[in-house]
Amino acid sequence: MNSLSSLLLRFLTLMFLQAFIFDPFVLGVAYAPFIYVLLLIFIPNDWPSWVVLLVGFFIGLSADIIFFSGGVHTIACLIVSFARPLLIRAVYRDTLSPKDLKIEHEPFGNLFLYAIVIVLVHHLFLFISIVVTLNRLGWLLSAWAANSILTILAVSFILLLSRNSKS
Amino acid sequence: MQKLLNSILRNGTLLLFIFLMGISLLFVSKNQSYQQSTFLSVENNIAVSFYEIRNHIFSYFKHRSHNQLLIEENQYLLSQLVKENNQPLILDSIPFEIIPGQVIRNSIQLNHNYITLNIGAKDGVKKEMGIITSKGVVGVVYDTNENTSGVISILNKALKINAKLKKSHHFGSLFWDGLSPNVMVLSDVPLAANVEVGDTIVTGGMSAIFPAGIELGVINKVDVPLNDNYFNLSVSLFQDLSNLNRVYAVNIPASEAIKEMIIENE
Repeated sequence: MNSLSSLLLRFLTLMFLQAFIFDPFVLGVAYAPFIYVLLLIFIPNDWPSWVVLLVGFFIGLSADIIFFSGGVHTIACLIVSFARPLLIRAVYRDTLSPKDLKIEHEPFGNLFLYAIVIVLVHHLFLFISIVVTLNRLGWLLSAWAANSILTILAVSFILLLSRNSKS
Repeated sequence: MQKLLNSILRNGTLLLFIFLMGISLLFVSKNQSYQQSTFLSVENNIAVSFYEIRNHIFSYFKHRSHNQLLIEENQYLLSQLVKENNQPLILDSIPFEIIPGQVIRNSIQLNHNYITLNIGAKDGVKKEMGIITSKGVVGVVYDTNENTSGVISILNKALKINAKLKKSHHFGSLFWDGLSPNVMVLSDVPLAANVEVGDTIVTGGMSAIFPAGIELGVINKVDVPLNDNYFNLSVSLFQDLSNLNRVYAVNIPASEAIKEMIIENE
C-alpha cells in the first residue's frame, strides 16, 4: 500500500509538471523533456509483471491525453514496461534478480545508467510509432500478418520435411 | 484443455501485453483521420479546460512578446491600408470578417498535428473556417465546442491548401511532408511557370476557406522532377508554427454559395 501511494503521489506531481511546464507550447520551443518517463523507473520491481504492464499502459494513456497524441505514448510505455526486467538485467549484468532491485537504495551511478537505458528505449519506440503510424499503419499490420502467415507456412513445411527425412 | 489453460496462465503477461498493444494500435488508427478521432484527441473536454487554465497563467508571462506581435500586425494592416488607397487591395474582393482568438494548445512533433483555440461556437466559429495570422495560414477548423475549437494544423499530413505564385498566378497545392515544421511542399505547379528561389507564395482562394492573397512563405528550393510536368517546390513559411499565439478565424459569409458554385461547376 505504501509503495502504491508513493507511486500515485509521484504520478500526480510528474504529470502536473509535464502538462504545466514541460510542454513545447508553454516553453515556446520545438522539443521538451518527457519527464513522466521517470514513472516507469519508479514502478516497484516486486509488483507482478501484469500489474506493471497495466500501470505502464495507464501512464502512457495519461501522457497521450496530455499531448493529444492519440496512442503513441501508450505504445512506447507499454513496450518499456514489458521489457523492464530485460533492461534491468542488461544494466546490472545479472548481479541481482530484477525483483530485488530497490530504486531507493541504489547508488547514483547505477540508477543513472538504468534511467538512460529506459529513456533511450522509450524515446526510440515513441518516435518509431510516430513515424510508422502516420499513413502506413494499415500497410504495416497487413504486410506483417500476410507475410508472417506465408513464412510460417513455409518454415513449418521445411521443418516437417527435415524431420521426416531424418527418421 | 488443462494444458491450454496452463499455458495461458504461464504466458499471461505476454497475452496481456499483446492485448494492450492491440488497444493502443486501435487508438492510434482511430486518431489518423480527424472525422473519427477518439477521446485521446482534441475534443476531450477535461483536457481542454485544463489547458485554458494553463493559458491564463502563462499568457501573463508572454505579454511582452504579444505586444511586439501586435505592433507588427498593426504595421502590416497599415501597409494594407496604404495599398488600398493607391491600388486595388491584394486580398480578394469576396467580403470576409475575422474573429480574433488565442491558441491554448499546439503540437508540431506528430505527423497529424492539431491546435486548440479558446474561441468556439459562441464566438461564431464554425467547421471548415480558415485560421490565419498576420504572417500566414495556420489551419482549418474541424470541430467546435461552445467555448473552444479544434483546428487541423497545416502541419498535418491530411491537409492540403490551395496556393499560387504571387507574381504569375500559377496554382499549386501546398502540403506538409512531415519533415521540418518550417518547410512545406508546393506541388502541381506546371513547368511552364517561371519559378525562382525567393518567389513569394500566397493563398489561391480557390477553396472558400481562405481569402486569396494571404502571403504564406517563399520558395527556398526548386526541384525539377525527371518524368513529370510539374515542379516540386519547397516553401519556407513566414509563420513559425511552433510559436503561435494570436490567431484569427476567417468567416467568409459567401462560402456556402461559393461551395455550391464549385460543386455545380464540377
